[in-house]
Amino acid sequence: MTAAVRKAGATGTAPLLAIAGVDVVLGRGWRANQVLSGVDLDIWPGQIVGLVGETGSGKTTLARTIVGLVKPRAGRVVFDGTDISGLRGAARKRERRSGHVQLVFQDPLRSLDPDLTVAEIVGEGLRIRGGLDAGQIRDRVTGALAKVGLDATLLERAPGQISGGQRQRVSIARALAAGPLLLLCDEPVSALDASNRNYILRLLADLRDSLHLPIVIISHDLSSLAGIADRVVVLYRGRIVEDGPVSRVFSAPRHPYTALLMASAPSVGDQGGQRLSVRQLRRTSADPPSPDGEGACVFAARCPFAAAVCARQPPLTLTTVPPGKGAVTTPADRWTAACHRHREWGELASQRPEHPQ
Amino acid sequence: MTGKPPLDEVLALDDLHVTVHDGAATAVRGVSLSVAAGEIVGLVGESGSGKTLTCRAALGVLPKGCAVARGTVAFERLDVTGLSRRGWQRLHGTGMGAVFQDPASYLNPNLTVGSQLAEVLRVKQRLSRREARRRSIELLAAVGLHGPERVFHQIPAELSGGMLQRVMIAIAICCGPRLLIADEATTALDVTIQAEILELLRDLRDQRGLAVLFVSHDLAVIKELCDKIVVFYAGEVVESGPAAEIIERPRHPYTQALLRVASVGDFGRRELRVIPGQPPRVGADIAGCRFADRCQAAAGECRSGPVSLVPLSPAHQARCVRATDPELASSTDSASPGGASAAAELAAR
Repeated sequence: MTAAVRKAGATGTAPLLAIAGVDVVLGRGWRANQVLSGVDLDIWPGQIVGLVGETGSGKTTLARTIVGLVKPRAGRVVFDGTDISGLRGAARKRERRSGHVQLVFQDPLRSLDPDLTVAEIVGEGLRIRGGLDAGQIRDRVTGALAKVGLDATLLERAPGQISGGQRQRVSIARALAAGPLLLLCDEPVSALDASNRNYILRLLADLRDSLHLPIVIISHDLSSLAGIADRVVVLYRGRIVEDGPVSRVFSAPRHPYTALLMASAPSVGDQGGQRLSVRQLRRTSADPPSPDGEGACVFAARCPFAAAVCARQPPLTLTTVPPGKGAVTTPADRWTAACHRHREWGELASQRPEHPQ
Repeated sequence: MTGKPPLDEVLALDDLHVTVHDGAATAVRGVSLSVAAGEIVGLVGESGSGKTLTCRAALGVLPKGCAVARGTVAFERLDVTGLSRRGWQRLHGTGMGAVFQDPASYLNPNLTVGSQLAEVLRVKQRLSRREARRRSIELLAAVGLHGPERVFHQIPAELSGGMLQRVMIAIAICCGPRLLIADEATTALDVTIQAEILELLRDLRDQRGLAVLFVSHDLAVIKELCDKIVVFYAGEVVESGPAAEIIERPRHPYTQALLRVASVGDFGRRELRVIPGQPPRVGADIAGCRFADRCQAAAGECRSGPVSLVPLSPAHQARCVRATDPELASSTDSASPGGASAAAELAAR
């Protein structure tokens, strides 16, 4: 863990992870499917970045690209100064075994080996990497479990003998034991009920604060993500459509898809009077046809505000910060959106009927 | 709820007890609830609270080793508790339909969705091949699938999770059942798709007068959809009543805790709350209130003997000795963890 702090201090201005122009194509021939298109994403130390989007938007593929499980067709993935997208053979193996980037998966019951004990699961990566004796591994394992609030009495249990919330904490402990510089969590709370979900998210927020560890959380629960994340990145069909500080994006989203995600989120409270409703943001048969040709905006087919200009995919561009909200001071404060009409659609949406006629 | 004419009762559970592990433990203890035509009733509670077993008992499809030990299941005022397998089969599809969490696992991956829907119509309603096909396409359109003729010829792998769940709903309602049981039917879906499925269920309630028993661990989803809410904790109903009343004036400390941890429609940085402690083991024998160990308001009287449901209004009841205590009623926002770190709180568990 000291490694994470040292590195973070040494690289104050450069991002820890810099993804530029990444295209990913899965499958070949007629099955080839472009899953990511022109993805640019920088991650700085000490930040929780929430990655949101629906099934098939490329969230998981992006995470797999970052850890090197998927090779991009174009673009670069630079981690801590090294381009890891082009690594092969021994260099790639060395990078993987360094444990610098760790993944936590959605369903701990399926991602943890049911035949191993908690101690074996958490220490397995360290044993494979080598260089530590059994006592040192044991210390690292208990240290990692303590960081996630699990005590040593669970060490000899199997994943099937502990609760769902505890299992997900074991997954996080396994990742932490490797001493990561970056933690990627793929839907870490989707399988948990509300109380356990909040436990895990608070735990991740604590890890960010105490270890200055950057964490990427893939989730579709915007509201609880908003409680802890610093930045939100919205993916739609393989493209980033909005990227900015959580407090700004969620108070006035610049992309209609972000607004639709917010409006769709169920809540026990009343949504504030100013918030747009799902009806105002969803296309209806009454809306004029939207451009759908090659190269059109990926969201145009679902967007009620699509116009002629949307026949061309808009690039991710800086949005202007409303006066009084403070200017862009650090790169981490950048707020970008990929919408030609990001200044106009809000007004158009508020004129649409809130309820069906 | 008042001022409306009495509704037709479609499903009524009375003092339902379900045992698991061949009778070794009781997982559902004395559950009573009813669902009327044109009404959506939501069951909410943590995993392991007995929601799914209750649904399966109501559908007559309890897993092996589980049995209804006491109490009754009545469908349209007819006691169906001891119904034979044939009897249940006659009810399935025509009287009651069901939708579950993972639609892909209930469909044959090698057959077109249309053939699987048409098969049900041919078997249950004895429709001709041509008639079943026509009716299937109508149903696929009715559940909001675009291009129903194309969807009819697609296999499950070609459809998204939301589309498959619509197909499952089409199969569940194809023979005109009066009751639909949806067990975590939107849990695996994206929020945008979930919103569409909830809308579809509302339309089915309004247009067909369908009675819906909707199960979820997410109180926010239940609140968006349901007319009545039934809160489960450790195999018991701890609170039930009209949705608005439960959300605005929850009287059981567990319901209050669920509300604190639920999504609040707030997109700001905030303290995420948790419910300290763990629920008791399934079938645990506890003399008093089953929530007492996790309850901040628990007193000696809570642990001395069984707590019964206390009526608070004609339709609202809570299983708490302090249900009528005004101090408890106002504690929804108190009892803050006071900014303790998650790790500290976790260590205290």
